[in-house]
Amino acid sequence: MKAQRKAKPVVLQPRGSRRIALLEVSGPILSVLFAMLMASVALIMIGKNPFAVYGTMFAYSFGRLDSVAYILSKATPLIFSGIAVAVAFRVNLFNIGVEGQYAVGAFFASWVGASFHGLPPYIHLPLVILAGAFGGALWALVPIWLRVKRGVHEVISTIMLNHTSYLLLHYLMAGPLKDKTLVGLGTVGSASGVRMSPILDSARVPRLHGLFEAIGINIPAYVSLNWFLVVGIVLAFGMYLLIWKTPFGMQLRAVGHNPKAAEAAGLRSNAVLVRAFLISGAVAGLVGLSDLLGYFGYLDVDFPKGYGFTGIAVALVGKNGALGIILAALLFGFLSRGGMGIQVLERVPMETYFILQGLIILCIVIGSEMVRRFVRAQQKKEEAAADV
Amino acid sequence: MEKAAAVLELRGITKRFPGIVANNQVSLDIEPGEIHAIVGENGAGKSTLMKMVAGLYAPDEGQIVYRGRPVIFRGPRQAIAAGIGMVHQHFMLVANFTVTENVILGAEPARRGLLDPKTAANQIAELARGYGLKLDSKARVEDISVGEQQRVEILKVLYRGADLIILDEPTAVLVPQEAEDLFEHLRTLKKQGKTVVFISHKLDEVLRVSDRITVLRRGRVIGTVRAAEVTRQKLAEMMVGRPILFDLKRSDVTPGEAHLCVESVTARGGGRTILRDLTFRVRSGEIYGIAGVEGNGQTELAEAIMGLRPVGSGKILLRGEDITNLPTPKVRRRGLAFIPEDRHRRGLILPMTVWENTIIGSETSREFSRGPRLLFDSIYRFVNEAMARFDVRLTTIMAPAQTLSGGNQQKVILAREFRGDPKFILASQPTRGLDIGATEFVRQQLLNARDQGAAVLLISADLEEVLSVADRIGVIYNGHIQAEFSREEADPKTLGFYMTGVRSGESGAGKEGGSLTA
Repeated sequence: MKAQRKAKPVVLQPRGSRRIALLEVSGPILSVLFAMLMASVALIMIGKNPFAVYGTMFAYSFGRLDSVAYILSKATPLIFSGIAVAVAFRVNLFNIGVEGQYAVGAFFASWVGASFHGLPPYIHLPLVILAGAFGGALWALVPIWLRVKRGVHEVISTIMLNHTSYLLLHYLMAGPLKDKTLVGLGTVGSASGVRMSPILDSARVPRLHGLFEAIGINIPAYVSLNWFLVVGIVLAFGMYLLIWKTPFGMQLRAVGHNPKAAEAAGLRSNAVLVRAFLISGAVAGLVGLSDLLGYFGYLDVDFPKGYGFTGIAVALVGKNGALGIILAALLFGFLSRGGMGIQVLERVPMETYFILQGLIILCIVIGSEMVRRFVRAQQKKEEAAADV
Repeated sequence: MEKAAAVLELRGITKRFPGIVANNQVSLDIEPGEIHAIVGENGAGKSTLMKMVAGLYAPDEGQIVYRGRPVIFRGPRQAIAAGIGMVHQHFMLVANFTVTENVILGAEPARRGLLDPKTAANQIAELARGYGLKLDSKARVEDISVGEQQRVEILKVLYRGADLIILDEPTAVLVPQEAEDLFEHLRTLKKQGKTVVFISHKLDEVLRVSDRITVLRRGRVIGTVRAAEVTRQKLAEMMVGRPILFDLKRSDVTPGEAHLCVESVTARGGGRTILRDLTFRVRSGEIYGIAGVEGNGQTELAEAIMGLRPVGSGKILLRGEDITNLPTPKVRRRGLAFIPEDRHRRGLILPMTVWENTIIGSETSREFSRGPRLLFDSIYRFVNEAMARFDVRLTTIMAPAQTLSGGNQQKVILAREFRGDPKFILASQPTRGLDIGATEFVRQQLLNARDQGAAVLLISADLEEVLSVADRIGVIYNGHIQAEFSREEADPKTLGFYMTGVRSGESGAGKEGGSLTA
């Protein structure tokens, strides 16, 4: 092995890589600070003291155990949807359809979760997760098929399928697959009465509370934090391996960057597109499972929406990287919790939270592009110096 | 002492663009009535320097002295008013205007505010005759050849009273006899007292036509020499900064059997037929060169062979096996190496690293991966060796391909395509935009592959390249191979006739293969 190491005469790490790494870390932090600075303008305009508002935001978010747990639980579905969007982004596909894919995934999971009485949890739960992934992939199959065979842009088709999925699920929930045991409730006009049969206990995901208790942290029982957080983090690491350490990941990035060159090099661009998008859809199918199997225990028409769209922002802010996505998901969890805090304690309207969120996305995206260009210019200079 | 006589003096000119110094303290003299060549490799700063003289850029530092007086041109109009005109590499002509209209456009002779077309046409015809430029002043520019269009450009600057005429790579778009005509015109202009500066990187023509030659390298003047007192080798060395071997090594190989047969292939593109009944064969141990003016189907031919463009009728056989309309991955698996003409769009995935670009297409081979695992040790070992073998100069194989120079990028492609010693190589414009060193390197690699028995199809718009490398030459015009020559019987002039469709193997209908800008 050692002899092989010596057979690498060409330097593998670019010079000045430490400075570049420092820049890539400090960039997002500076971007967030800059966004907060700009949001201060809005705060001052409504007569609030930015220092007090931000102070409360941090104190409320990090000063209480239930807030921290809330942030982690809020981040869980966002990690999944961030990964789903990022995988598609890597192959240069814009999956706006995570929204619909996770709805369909949750539907399949709910169906399987309510069926199969008597299965042990270690079979039933994985089966339910597989069902969710299958549902998401199934809903992703249509747009990618249209794209590859007919040239229909996936942005259009996925947006339309988002709406289709809601209508289809509402029909199934209210019709053929309605929980018949809820006689009466559904007829008094309450939408929440329209739902599917509850998930069986064997398919519910255990909470993380016990684990934290073992190390002396007592998470309040009213916050739901479950094992899907761990699954999400593992999946993010899996995505990293897939993208950077496998031949398929290489093909995926090649097709994403330059399909014409990839084709000329002998790659089957369309096959790569289809596979990557199905993976994206399968991950998307898991987005809702944390809420479904860990919190609600049933699927109804009020099942949370919007994780798919936030996932786009998460992938963007996280620069499609595993660690970036996890951090970005936590950032969005923090913003949501902090937003709640300042609303109540500082009497700042909810819109402040949206302004801050929007500014942070903008600043990070612009900031990372600036860093990227700078790094590229540095590399160009270095290679020019080597080429004599 | 010569300095006093200089019509144009550049003193310490420096021009910077973001990230690069295009010209660094450039000083040179142009004597009146001489033909002065500015030579250098791509990116040496030739065009930038002359664009400052012609008023298109302003120098950051230094002085331009014209006829003994320091001048500052704010735009090309001021330069032309002073008597300096430039003919650009890409023509700036209005296609559906006549020659006369193009020449007078922007400087129309008017009598009491009215344009007099007849007088103007006569005047322009007279002017052209005076300088020995053969042109029909009433012809539309879209109907005339590229060589004639260039004459219109020259006439444009003469009409505006230029005494110093700058031509930027004038022969790049011309076939051999057109270039010959151009040189004749330049000599005529010189006889009539005009001064000519021409930018080029083709050493043979520079030595033939110019009086003095100034060599630029990386934005600096390396020296000015008299054409009569310098050799091609010496000039190349000045350009590149190290001795260059011009002698390509080729051993005597008896060609084997036909390896690639293209038989009566027809293909369409952009709604019209591009390849017409195209037939040729490449045998093992030979380089078959396809010469032709660009845009006569070369791109489409390469795509058709590689399965990147559907073939309408006809057959493509590789070692007797039908590969017509086979998808690219399958064509590739049969051992076809492909050097695409467009390095950036087809050849490389620019944002990806050098090592990734070197193995892409083989990433699933046993050498580089096992199941879902990339074998990085094995990959890095191969890539490092390949970088050394193909003389790619870089700090790290982790650098994105887009940070490399054109020459190094092309060598990365060679490293990828020559892996496993392919039996067939399709090289499309393989040396375009490369410096002399890299060009010679690439050609030698193609010859080496041929010596080892590979069949090589070389598609090139550079006639000199085809003549120096190929064993047999087919001339493509209007999507059809017009004629075939062996290496011994090919001469530039004859090839030129077929390239422009003046002579053809059969009644090839169609217009000039030239291109026009707006």
